Amino acid sequence: MARTNGKLKTEPAGSRLYEVLKGIDFENRELIGKRAGAGLFDLVREPGGVYRCYACTLCERACPVDCIDIDYCPEHDVLPWDLAAEKAAATAAQPEIDMKPFDAVVARLREGSGLIEALHTTQETYGWLPRRALEGIADELQLPFSRIFGVASFYTQFRLAPVGKHVISVCMGTACHVAGAPLIVEAFSQEIGIAVGDTSADGLFTLQTVNCVGACALAPVVRIGDDDTHGRMSPNGARKLVRTLSRKEAS
Amino acid sequence: MAAATQRATRVNRALKHAVGAGTPTAGTGTKQIRICAGTACHASGRAEITKAVREEIEKRGLAGQVTILETGCHGFCELGPILVVDPSGTFYPRLKPRDVADILQNSVVSDEVVERLLYRDPKTDAPVAHEKDIPFYKLQHRLVLSANGKIDPHSIDDYLALGGYSALAKVLADDDPVAVIDAVETAGLRGRGGAGFPAGRKWRSCRANPGEKKYVLCNGDEGDPGAFMDRSVLEGNPHAVIEGMIIAAFAISSGVAPAEGYVYVRHEYPFAVERLGVALRQAHERGLLGEDILGSGFSFDIRINQGAGAFVCGESTALTASIEGHRGMPRGKHIRTVAHGLYGQPTNLNNVETYANVPWIVLNGVDAYRALGTETSKGTKIFSLTGKIRNGGLVEVPMGATLREVIFDIGGGMLPGRQFKAVQLGGPSGGSLPAENLDTEIDFESLTAAGAMMGSGGMVVVDDTTCMVDFAKFFLKFTAEESCGKCVPCRVGTTRMLEVLERITAGEGTLEDIDLLERLSDDVMEGSLCALGGSAPNPVLTTLRYFRDEVEAHVVDKRCPAKVCRPLIRYTVNKTNCTGCHACFTACPTQAVSGERKQPHKISQKKCIKCDTCRQVCMFDAIDVDTGVLEVAGRRST
Repeated sequence: MARTNGKLKTEPAGSRLYEVLKGIDFENRELIGKRAGAGLFDLVREPGGVYRCYACTLCERACPVDCIDIDYCPEHDVLPWDLAAEKAAATAAQPEIDMKPFDAVVARLREGSGLIEALHTTQETYGWLPRRALEGIADELQLPFSRIFGVASFYTQFRLAPVGKHVISVCMGTACHVAGAPLIVEAFSQEIGIAVGDTSADGLFTLQTVNCVGACALAPVVRIGDDDTHGRMSPNGARKLVRTLSRKEAS
Repeated sequence: MAAATQRATRVNRALKHAVGAGTPTAGTGTKQIRICAGTACHASGRAEITKAVREEIEKRGLAGQVTILETGCHGFCELGPILVVDPSGTFYPRLKPRDVADILQNSVVSDEVVERLLYRDPKTDAPVAHEKDIPFYKLQHRLVLSANGKIDPHSIDDYLALGGYSALAKVLADDDPVAVIDAVETAGLRGRGGAGFPAGRKWRSCRANPGEKKYVLCNGDEGDPGAFMDRSVLEGNPHAVIEGMIIAAFAISSGVAPAEGYVYVRHEYPFAVERLGVALRQAHERGLLGEDILGSGFSFDIRINQGAGAFVCGESTALTASIEGHRGMPRGKHIRTVAHGLYGQPTNLNNVETYANVPWIVLNGVDAYRALGTETSKGTKIFSLTGKIRNGGLVEVPMGATLREVIFDIGGGMLPGRQFKAVQLGGPSGGSLPAENLDTEIDFESLTAAGAMMGSGGMVVVDDTTCMVDFAKFFLKFTAEESCGKCVPCRVGTTRMLEVLERITAGEGTLEDIDLLERLSDDVMEGSLCALGGSAPNPVLTTLRYFRDEVEAHVVDKRCPAKVCRPLIRYTVNKTNCTGCHACFTACPTQAVSGERKQPHKISQKKCIKCDTCRQVCMFDAIDVDTGVLEVAGRRST
């Protein structure tokens, strides 16, 4: 991009290339002095009628204003799958969500909050990141859904599936490790009957590990929800904790 | 000349105005109760203590005479919740709400101490009444942490009352950014985030680089597991960091380009985020941040950016990518961030602790700072001392203190009956040092020479119950999981190394595996794009260097000397000690324990999952752990 910007500076004003390049902010991938939607392009076909494009996605990646979005294989005259239906099915596979609180996220985005902040706000609202919300963010930021999903799936704190009522976070920091955190995780996992990262079928518990909650003097540490911290845990204590919570829910 | 004096008068008047705009909470009553509200004390129940104190004061009609101060971390996290009664400085650790009435009666209403609640010196068992006499505090040199535990982090007035923001006023009044950089460079302030790059040099090159805007970033993404000093500074004294950042911004912005700041904080630190937010708002209100700071014409603003749980985001280029809203992946650093950082602009990135050092240097002078520390490393360093140690918590010592002083004098040594085995420094990028290295002086160079690393300051002490191979495996597992996946040596290399270590801890390793580990380590360090991969093999290499016999015991004898690696150990009942109390029988999650009451019990090796529960619940030391039993496991199945 820097090279293209440099090119614009050395190009004599008024030349054809200058006219093409000016009005594009290459750093921010935005149009600043050009009309959007000025042209649509067609793909070149070979004499036999097949498209020459083999979807290398280079144009998608190189486009200075992110206007190309490759999402199907053009070898087929008709789409080999129904994209809209696929998307709808992916959304339908997730529980219904109320889109009303999502307006707050959009409002924050319009105030200029970053993508990661938007994802945090969404997760605070729903407890996880529903696909419909991610699509909403993509629409709002005018970015491909894949970009948003890529960011959401990169960071371990973002959850792409609904969580249980009690989120059990076992600290796996160094101090907790030497104090026996692996045994604690195992005890939780056996008592609830789920693997780390999963949610129990009754929707009561989600078991996860976190890197360090910074309460090393109390190792091993377990956090239930956001604020309920239990220090100096033992495997037996972990099992008892699960039983107490289940009993409380049952009554 | 006249213009310069006018400017100085204007700035000083503005500071005076800011100070006069409110009243500090600290030190207003005749008596003061300070309660630690750091994360660790919060987890051990400080909210109930505060509630009990408030109720008790209400009940006794002491409101107005006694100030209650909820401060940041006092540092002695092992003993939370902590309460200190001023002005005497009487220190009460590990409190229960029911003890509060006693303290108010004896320590607040009258001037005595409640002896049964005092801290006891682990060596002499004598009670120690005052905070300043406790060895843990007495032997430290608190420079950055000096205000932690003394002020309410929610109150800018407390910070101003301690002379806060006067360093900023001094810098703005002098109006000489280059002199600030000179001072920081001569003082020898080095980055506290790990690598120890001279902060002054970084500022100078950031200043020299042209750009439309300059960014000042504060790295509070303390991802290193077992380190929490940045959290404590942000929680206990956020204004010191803010002041340091404003001074840095003033020093690097060359007049033309405006500067903007971001603090990148981990989302796992809700208190730090909240208190920093309050501090920023207050600084704004007092004209210490934002447009035209203290009437000097210099403008600078700071925003909070929360991370989302990626260790690699502590790396400068990954951090900027994350702020920009991308996946936090580092780029090659042939062009440094001081030239091309956030949004392609010159960017200065320092750690929380580094910024917190800056106001002190400006106020107390370069020479005072240089007087602390060693030839190459100046000042102090905060360590979070954790692990199998008696006095865990935050320790600030001058550079050049030895590991022995920190661990045995301040930290109080090992838990009763345990042997020191190793100290791990620098987290996943550092290494473990054995007892022979205890007299190593702590500075950047000597730790690196020993194979460890200063890192952000995590210091985890382990004893003879920790298996060094398993410990190295823990760190490698961490880096393998946290590898962003961009470059192959790190992504694949760490995974392969982890597989080798898993083989060794399962008793399936060979001597060739050890050679393979060394070779892979070289490749990963050589080929990785960023420091995460470049230092990932360090824990393994130091383990091979200092604890090779332990690794070989796993490989050759199929034995885990620390009795940790599960495939190599088994649990049995010691028939002489077992009283048949049934405690293990009840606690065993797999019903592997059998036996009648008052008769020695038995553990079925088929059912035993080696979860350690029986050993932990046994009151009579009747559960034995054997190792080196792989080859006989088939024969002796009971």
